[in-house]
Amino acid sequence: MKMILLIALREYGENVKTKGFWAGILLFPLILIGVFFFQTLLAESTPSRYYLLVDQSGRYGSAVDAAIRQEHQRRILQAFVSYVLENRRDQPLTQMPGQANEQIDQLIDDVGVDEVAAVDQWLESGGIDFLLTLAAPVLRENAPPFDPPREQFLQAESPVDIPDDASPEEIVERLRPWLGGERSLLIDGERSPLFALILIPREVDSAIQRPGATLPGQSTPSGGVQYWASNLTDTRLPNAIERSINSTIRNNEFTARGVDIQTVRNVQRTRLPLSRLDPRKEAGEEAVSVADTFRQWAPVGFVYLMFISLMQSVQYLLSNTIEEKSNRIIEVLLASVTPLELMMGKLLGIGLSGITTIAAWLLSFFLFVVFYPGTETELITQFFQVLMSSDLIPYFIFYFLAGYALYAGIFLAIGSLCNTLKEAQSLMMPMMMILIAPLVTMTFIAQDPNGTVARIMSWIPLFTPFTMMNRAAAQPPLTDVIGTTVLLVLSIALVLWLSGKIFRQGVLRTGQPPRIVEILRMLRHRH
Amino acid sequence: MQQAPVLELKEVSKRYGSFTAVNNISFTIPAGSIYGFLGPNGAGKTTTIRMILDILKPDSGSIRILGESCALNVRHRIGYLPEEKGLYKKMRVWAIIAYFATLKGMSRKAARAQAFELLERYGLKDYAESKVESLSKGMGQKVQVLSAVAHRPELVILDEPFSGLDPVNQEVLEQLIKDMAEAGQTVIFSTHIMQHAERLCDRMLLITKGQKVFDGTLDDAHALIPRRVVLECQSALSPAPASADILSVTELPLQRPALNEATRRWEILLNEQADPQMILQHCFEQRIALSRFDYTQPSLHDVFVHLVGSDAREHALR
Repeated sequence: MKMILLIALREYGENVKTKGFWAGILLFPLILIGVFFFQTLLAESTPSRYYLLVDQSGRYGSAVDAAIRQEHQRRILQAFVSYVLENRRDQPLTQMPGQANEQIDQLIDDVGVDEVAAVDQWLESGGIDFLLTLAAPVLRENAPPFDPPREQFLQAESPVDIPDDASPEEIVERLRPWLGGERSLLIDGERSPLFALILIPREVDSAIQRPGATLPGQSTPSGGVQYWASNLTDTRLPNAIERSINSTIRNNEFTARGVDIQTVRNVQRTRLPLSRLDPRKEAGEEAVSVADTFRQWAPVGFVYLMFISLMQSVQYLLSNTIEEKSNRIIEVLLASVTPLELMMGKLLGIGLSGITTIAAWLLSFFLFVVFYPGTETELITQFFQVLMSSDLIPYFIFYFLAGYALYAGIFLAIGSLCNTLKEAQSLMMPMMMILIAPLVTMTFIAQDPNGTVARIMSWIPLFTPFTMMNRAAAQPPLTDVIGTTVLLVLSIALVLWLSGKIFRQGVLRTGQPPRIVEILRMLRHRH
Repeated sequence: MQQAPVLELKEVSKRYGSFTAVNNISFTIPAGSIYGFLGPNGAGKTTTIRMILDILKPDSGSIRILGESCALNVRHRIGYLPEEKGLYKKMRVWAIIAYFATLKGMSRKAARAQAFELLERYGLKDYAESKVESLSKGMGQKVQVLSAVAHRPELVILDEPFSGLDPVNQEVLEQLIKDMAEAGQTVIFSTHIMQHAERLCDRMLLITKGQKVFDGTLDDAHALIPRRVVLECQSALSPAPASADILSVTELPLQRPALNEATRRWEILLNEQADPQMILQHCFEQRIALSRFDYTQPSLHDVFVHLVGSDAREHALR
């Protein structure tokens, strides 16, 4: 036992000194920080985009303008909701005026359920100023002032004169240098490209399509409203335009058929909420919250984490065994310790460094949540609370250790048979194929955690750690939990016993890696 | 003083498939000696050593080491340097010596102190903090020898310790072996360079093709081949010296053109007990004028070639 510890300590100490280990430890927090800073940076650096609106029909221009403004208001509302969530008092004041708290809760709820309706509603009740007054009592004293997002789309003046009687083709022709990016607009002394041209032709009404009627406008692809832009990926503007114009047309239709628009709007805002409930919860707690959704998906993250850190550990184990073998250090070691002690020491040492990596990842995640109070971290905090309150962490620790023991045993045996990493590659191939399977089925199993595929995979020991981790949040049947665990533990014992046999014969081998028959012979060997 | 032998092999054999690496070898090594383990390449030295250390299991026969039937039980009292040398490249020199010593049961503190002491005594003090990968091959090998013996084992087994060392370091290593023998440790080393064996060994074992061909002291080895006298004279060696001790008299071709055309060369093989003076005496009495009289003690090298010569050549040509 003392020898195992000595070997484990050396393996751990040497592994911790390698660059790869630190790269692995730092990679995760760097990605985490990178993603959020990049996102923030991206949102801030996207320039305001200028569009040109030419409305020859004279009927829809104002609707498009309104739609773009509404899109902007929606973003303000979203930003405001996260601002409130972030800067809310931990304890509500005792002498809270009115039902400010409830109203804010209502607003946050509404935004989550039906954004469009919520925007309409708060615009009607007074816009952002009203909201700030409403929210003031629930905010912390030291809350920073609300900083609404910039407008993303701004209307520009046409850089060329467009005669009133110009045809659509003519207008596009005149503006082509700006649309193609060869020329740019001069706005407030700064040059900005023209992002899009929205052209509403005079006879646009003839392109309106009605169900049941013959479709006159369908033959020409540019019939109806024309949206000219060389940027095809940013679909926010065309989507907003399409929505607003269709809504205007429908309103016109209602008027034409003698229906009151206010009635229609009220009808459209009528809704029956759909509550998503979980039958496994206690009475009164059935509501499916965001946290529950997280709970459902958290195991996927853990499976992924497990996969990455398992891969890292077994790879290191493999290359390390091959180093000892090709350097013939193994002989000195075997004159001092038994092959089993050597194997166990290595398993333990590398396993410890794997756990260190994971602990460092979880710690950095925790620190990140604590010290980076951004908009997005609100969700992460919830996620974190889910982790701490549920039994996912114990599951993860058990399945990580089990998976590690299982795969490390196999990779150690492979390493003991090969003199170079190159030789090991061909023996590793089938293992890699097997390891990919849990990764591929990961999302599928999270969606159907107690389905046939999930259950079958749980009973295959090589997949058990991944699949059972994947199902951990869905309370799998007790037979599955106990049965697969017993099977898994037995398989680990078998794998370690067999790889111990291969290991002690393999480490002293020289020359080509063995063929399958020879490996089988090694497994049958008595000693 | 008569002690139990540190090592005793009885009819030990090891086969790899149809190839017999070690065939029915028996020998005994007394405590406190320097024991040479000699043989040509592929003779089975390394296999025998691995079986002694219980890294390989013999197919038949028994091994007793330090009074135990299995080296595993006494592995802390054994030091081993394998034939193919290698160390962890990223570790520091002192740390690797200390690590192997702790694996042999030394405390961390004692192992560390011993590592620095050995490095200082054998001229590697300046490299104590270097990483192994920065050492030259010869220095690395010295470090490995030190790591094999740092725990002061009763029995030291060195497989080809001299290969790859320059003459100066070979001497340092010889000194180390002598130091250990003086301290009462038993040293077994294998080599195919006879000079080292000749200078160091109390006893030696010679194996070839997996079989023991000689086991004894240096004197025993010398006794194996006849003593040889080479004469040069200007006439026929007649009458030829005759005695029970003279095994043969043969004329040899001249190696180089002699000053005198009449010069002839003779080789006389003698029994080991024979006194070469008797040849001189004979020539003097018969008035045979000698221009050369060579008598040399046969070297271990000659013994080696004599015993395994044909096999080794055959092996080399294959």
